[in-house]
Amino acid sequence: MALRLRHDVAENGESSLVDSVESTVTQTEWIETHIREAAGLLPAQGPITAFAFLNTLQALENLPFEAGLRRGQELFGYETYLSEERYREKLARGRIRLEDLSETLKRDLGQRCQTAVGPSGNLFNLRLSMLEYSMRMAPESELRWFMAETDALTRYREEVSPESGEIRTNETRRWVVEEILPNPASPWHDFFPELRGRQVEKWTHAQWTAFALHALWQVCREGVRNLPLVTTSVSMIRHRDLLLAATGFDCDRLLQEVMIPFCAGFLDQGLATWVLPHREQGLWKTFVSLYSSGSSVETWLRPLRAELHRLSGLTPAQVVEDSLEQLGISREDAPEYLTRELLAMRGWAGMIWQAEDRGDRIARPVPPGTLLEYMAVRLVLLRMALLDAMRKESLGDRKLTELRALLSERIPPVESTSIDQRAFEVFQLAQLQQWSAAALSHLSEDQWKSLIHEIEEFDGPSRRRIFHLAFERRFRTQALDALSLHNQEPRPPKSESPLFQSVYCIDAREESFRRHLEEVCPRAETFGAAGFFGVAMYFRGVSDAHYQALCPIVVRPRHYVIEEVVYSLAESDRRRSGARRRLATASHRIHLGSRSLTGGALLTAGLGVFASIPLVARVLLPATTSRLRRTLGSVVAPPPVTRLRIERLTEQPGSEGDAIGYTVPEMADVGERILSETGLRTRLSRLVIFFGHGSFCLNNPHKSCYDCGACSGSAGGANARALAAMLNDNRVRRVLAERGLVIPETTVFLGGLHNTATDRFEFFDLDLLPRTHIPDFETARDALEEAARRNAQERCRRFYSAPLDITPNDAHWHVENRSEDLAQTRPEFGNASNAMCVVGRRTLTRELFLDRRSFLVSYDSQLDDAESTILGRILGAVVIVCSGINLQYNFSYIDPAGWGAGTKLPHNVTSLLGVMDGAASDLRSGLPWQGVEIHEPVRCLFAIETTPDSILKIMARNPAVGNILRNGWSQLALIDPETSAVSLYEDGTFVPHECSIDQLRSATSSREFYRGSRDHLDFAEIHPSRVTSPPG
Amino acid sequence: MSVLEILGIIVVASPAALVVILGLASLFDRPFSEKWISQLVQLAMITGLLASITILGLMLKTDDRHIPIELGHWVVLADDASSAMTSHNPHANAHEHLIYHFSLKFEFDRLSVPFVILTFVLCGTIGAFADKYMHREGGFNRFFMLYAIFVLGMVVTSLAGTIETLFTGWELVGLSSTLLVAFFQDRPNPCRNGLRVWSVYRLSDCGLLMAALLLHHVSGEGDFDLLMGTGAWPEGVARLPSSQAFTVGLLLLISVAGKSALVPFSGWLPRAMEGPTPSSAVFYGALSVHLGAFLLLRVSPILALSPALSGLVVALGLATTCYSALCGRVQTDIKSALSFASLTQVGLIVAEIGAFAWLGNRWKMPSLLYIPLIHILGHGCARTLQFVRAPTLLHDYRILENAIGSRLTLLPPQWVTHLPQTWRDRLYRLALHRGYLDAILQKYIVTPLFSVLEKCDQIDLSFTRFVNGADQDTHKNGNGG
Repeated sequence: MALRLRHDVAENGESSLVDSVESTVTQTEWIETHIREAAGLLPAQGPITAFAFLNTLQALENLPFEAGLRRGQELFGYETYLSEERYREKLARGRIRLEDLSETLKRDLGQRCQTAVGPSGNLFNLRLSMLEYSMRMAPESELRWFMAETDALTRYREEVSPESGEIRTNETRRWVVEEILPNPASPWHDFFPELRGRQVEKWTHAQWTAFALHALWQVCREGVRNLPLVTTSVSMIRHRDLLLAATGFDCDRLLQEVMIPFCAGFLDQGLATWVLPHREQGLWKTFVSLYSSGSSVETWLRPLRAELHRLSGLTPAQVVEDSLEQLGISREDAPEYLTRELLAMRGWAGMIWQAEDRGDRIARPVPPGTLLEYMAVRLVLLRMALLDAMRKESLGDRKLTELRALLSERIPPVESTSIDQRAFEVFQLAQLQQWSAAALSHLSEDQWKSLIHEIEEFDGPSRRRIFHLAFERRFRTQALDALSLHNQEPRPPKSESPLFQSVYCIDAREESFRRHLEEVCPRAETFGAAGFFGVAMYFRGVSDAHYQALCPIVVRPRHYVIEEVVYSLAESDRRRSGARRRLATASHRIHLGSRSLTGGALLTAGLGVFASIPLVARVLLPATTSRLRRTLGSVVAPPPVTRLRIERLTEQPGSEGDAIGYTVPEMADVGERILSETGLRTRLSRLVIFFGHGSFCLNNPHKSCYDCGACSGSAGGANARALAAMLNDNRVRRVLAERGLVIPETTVFLGGLHNTATDRFEFFDLDLLPRTHIPDFETARDALEEAARRNAQERCRRFYSAPLDITPNDAHWHVENRSEDLAQTRPEFGNASNAMCVVGRRTLTRELFLDRRSFLVSYDSQLDDAESTILGRILGAVVIVCSGINLQYNFSYIDPAGWGAGTKLPHNVTSLLGVMDGAASDLRSGLPWQGVEIHEPVRCLFAIETTPDSILKIMARNPAVGNILRNGWSQLALIDPETSAVSLYEDGTFVPHECSIDQLRSATSSREFYRGSRDHLDFAEIHPSRVTSPPG
Repeated sequence: MSVLEILGIIVVASPAALVVILGLASLFDRPFSEKWISQLVQLAMITGLLASITILGLMLKTDDRHIPIELGHWVVLADDASSAMTSHNPHANAHEHLIYHFSLKFEFDRLSVPFVILTFVLCGTIGAFADKYMHREGGFNRFFMLYAIFVLGMVVTSLAGTIETLFTGWELVGLSSTLLVAFFQDRPNPCRNGLRVWSVYRLSDCGLLMAALLLHHVSGEGDFDLLMGTGAWPEGVARLPSSQAFTVGLLLLISVAGKSALVPFSGWLPRAMEGPTPSSAVFYGALSVHLGAFLLLRVSPILALSPALSGLVVALGLATTCYSALCGRVQTDIKSALSFASLTQVGLIVAEIGAFAWLGNRWKMPSLLYIPLIHILGHGCARTLQFVRAPTLLHDYRILENAIGSRLTLLPPQWVTHLPQTWRDRLYRLALHRGYLDAILQKYIVTPLFSVLEKCDQIDLSFTRFVNGADQDTHKNGNGG
């Protein structure tokens, strides 16, 4: 959308220029519009405390995936594929197979596969060998050294078999004896002086081999000699890029020295004790009042004061326009120029935009238009920096408007490949393609031209693209094989009724937990639904100060829910919260005091030495220390028995008093929706537990990205608790019964929270559990705890610091230690390694080992109507959430320093909003390396149990879902609800999947299958009854 | 050899052995596994810690307040060369015969032992911390190699019995600090800031070297115990004439100011926050940044001689404190805020040393100097804990807000509100730009220095041209000449 819009904006802008004769107000309107549009390209994840998982290139989702990548690469300059070496590594390790490469290549070339290239062979073979073998590329001088000093001209490449080498040598020999020697006029005599006067008959085998290679090299050089070289012109639009290329001076550095502290001060949410003066007047005015008095020590800022006086009275948009004019940016160039300048410090600009656009998410929002004011400040400072650079480069007498032209002249022309480099590539390929010098010598100039063209067209980026597609194909084949084979025979429906049922978030982390639970207790049933369970609310816990939104980022909730202590304990609560407040106030004073002069002196000189006790204890014994702290803290913790205030008495929802909560019909809506979506409505057992999830870990600014993505990066326990409370209400049940959804009287709902870092559980409102259901609960709890221990063990196989033979009990202790350890940068791996999303009944995936790589969404197509309303509703959330998570992981993994936040180690919490690298840098958006380390970058494969008709209708109904699936930002496969046949969505059609194997690997338990392995595993059937089959 | 001497050697030898072992492994490109490295580090730290605690115990028990350990004379030059060469104990001779002697000598006294214990406790804890923190990071081995060098440097500096020994440790600390600031060497900012730290450190080294030279010139040796005279620390009385004490002290003060980031060199401290968090914690929160103050404590008898000098120390310390308290208020990132907080206390400690060294001498209460020492120890521990917990800041703030029940209120400095608005703005901007200290150094020192050097280069070139006599082919010969 961004591209099209940019075009529109440009047109609007032009028309407004025409209009400007009449009106000066609209003259700058295009700037405001453009800045708002371009802001879509900025990182959208917002404050780090509420991490929003969205596609990094969300603004380009209207483009096909590959076009989007190209545009993203061009705009940001970051990598969009892994390096060729990384892919070759995967090829060597079997994560990509040769078969995948050749199939992908075949599909990509289509008709052109058989196009003849070179003396023999076709385009397909040429490209395949370019993929399979790495070509040596070197600068001219290194190449010369290589040819002269290594055995490149005496031995064939090692991939060439001796027999094949022999044949090439003989061909060359025949060529010499039959064509060159008898013909004294042959031009080749000049190239091979060694033929003259020597007795070629007496040459040894080695001499002939050397000659064959030497001849090949000469023929290649001769062949490419007269071909025109491709000159690549790099177009640079920003002054900074031109200046850097021409003089080596980076003016962004100067800008950053001023802009980073200023933006950080402006956005600060309470880290600095002295707030930026005049902050409330907006960014531009604050800047003006700060810098228009007093003189600057920095030379380059000297003219700033006068400049700000000149600009006083102009609106920010007019300042931008004025700067563009002075910088010599034409009206056509201006939109692209502004976009590039905006992206130059995309972290800070993005945070400003988020603070402006989603003010509800942060404590101290900024007024609308701040991003534009940021741009005004940036361009003014840029001009100061450029003027300074011009003075240093003795261009002081020239005009700033001319600068770009002046710099362009100074940039040395970009060197394209030289003749020798070209020849060398052909030389290597000829050996692999089994072309001899003789064969090549007969090529016409046109043939040479087309050969070189085909080689150069298949450059690094194109090769990496094919590698990546092959890599995705490998995973896709395995996944679809597993789904097809696992569902070959329809499973007989279970005769026994389930012991208990539990519902989890769709999160890939819950996959392994659900599998273990079903292994521990085969009569347990599990379901998956987006982790806010349809309860979109602002929630305030009993010890919380503020409401926080517990729902996906795209939703703005209407309802408010609070947790409060039961009336009988209110007095004790009052006392304890008073104590908590006093303690916290004191500790805040200490926190600030330790940084001040006198307070710090008293504290450090007097008590400082005692700080060594917590220091040593917390580093060496993290879990024990935290348990001790919790025990001490329990004295002032809120009383244990609390309730949610969930029922509203007023007409309209609100955040205070009786307006808090839902009405009974609204509760029934929420309940009906979740029971229908999961397919639970027809099969309720005696006990149904909803589990929200959250992650609790210390010393981790990125904690929020381990929490529930469907709750805007918070823990979802309250949602599960609220839902259970609603469904247990008899009035709600009566309303539901009237609507045809009968909840058996014996069914009890329970809410819980799964801590994904420590693999422990918390259950809510257990005091309300009927006596009759206590045995059911205890059975469930025991099974859950055993499953949690096993799940911890499965997680530990990915942690290098946990031994591979760790027992479930030790694993449980190990993960608890991790979460409490100040030094631990990997408390868990979050959703890393996610690669697919199955939407359908659990029977499709039950007893299938998915290696924590799949989101699992419950959906029963039998309960849906002809229009697939339920599925449409599910996909509307799930496709956006899952592809957002998946692509965020993908980009952060592919270029961790660019799209991602880089390594956590130098991260520095700034303004309570984000992190910088070290002392000062752009705000780092994306995921840190430690969080994505074990990821494999493949686009999410949605496997949905529905028919082509239904999914096409949904894609047409919901443009966001349609864009993602149609443009290939995710892959799509369907599982037929009747036959379980699997088909893949390719180029707009559904192609039936053909299995590449006959049988899946199988094991008697998950443990048996993953034991002893750290790496990604294949899919497998977990069958307690069947015997293990050998690896397939 | 007495038990104390053996223990003393163990204290120095354990980090030295660590450096050698890790260094050799790195040299032959066969680095140890993470597990081995962490165990070696722990072993060295625990050995050193136990030995130094035992020394402290023995010293308290025997009330022995000063234990020098000599590891031989490396260079001895005397008036009468033959007599010095034959004599194995130059101290037995009257020391005025010596022109120069350089001995490796360590001193265990009430200043060095607590400092060494602090070093081992903090480095041991942070070593264990870094072992997990740096897990699977590309530069794991490099980090611990530099870390080991740093620990050795700290131990050598704290125990140094001669100014040359101190300089050795001082250099090791400087080198390892710089390389750890530039730990993330693939980004330009850490390298640039590392270089900046390095240049300030070199300037500071200049001061120390010149002071050493001057000390030798005056007294013929660099041994602290002889130089500082009779008593054990803190009761020593220096044997220098007051005027020379001032010059030596001034040079030392330059090196102290560089190392402890006092005004006007303060700009490097926040910039040094580029390395991994554990190294920032132990270097700039706890140990490295206190090294200047430690040096002042070591030479406190010199300060006592000259009121002008101690006045200067106090002034410098207070200026730094005020400067960093002001800048610290506006910092919006936790590491800069902590580094200025750290600097505030360091400035105060320096001022305390200046004041108490002089007052202690006047009032015959040398034990006043224990106050800055305790301040250093306490500040080191507390600040390290804060640095290590810096990434938890968001979590902590949330807990505090929840307990208090509202957003945290900010307390702007009281005195600022009394200023007129324009002054407030200017002051804020001054603090935001960190007092323009870097810009001032750049403008008034670095740029003029560079232009002088360029002038010299030009003179050199034209002279070469003149000698070559040929104007037309100067281009060809310019380089050769």
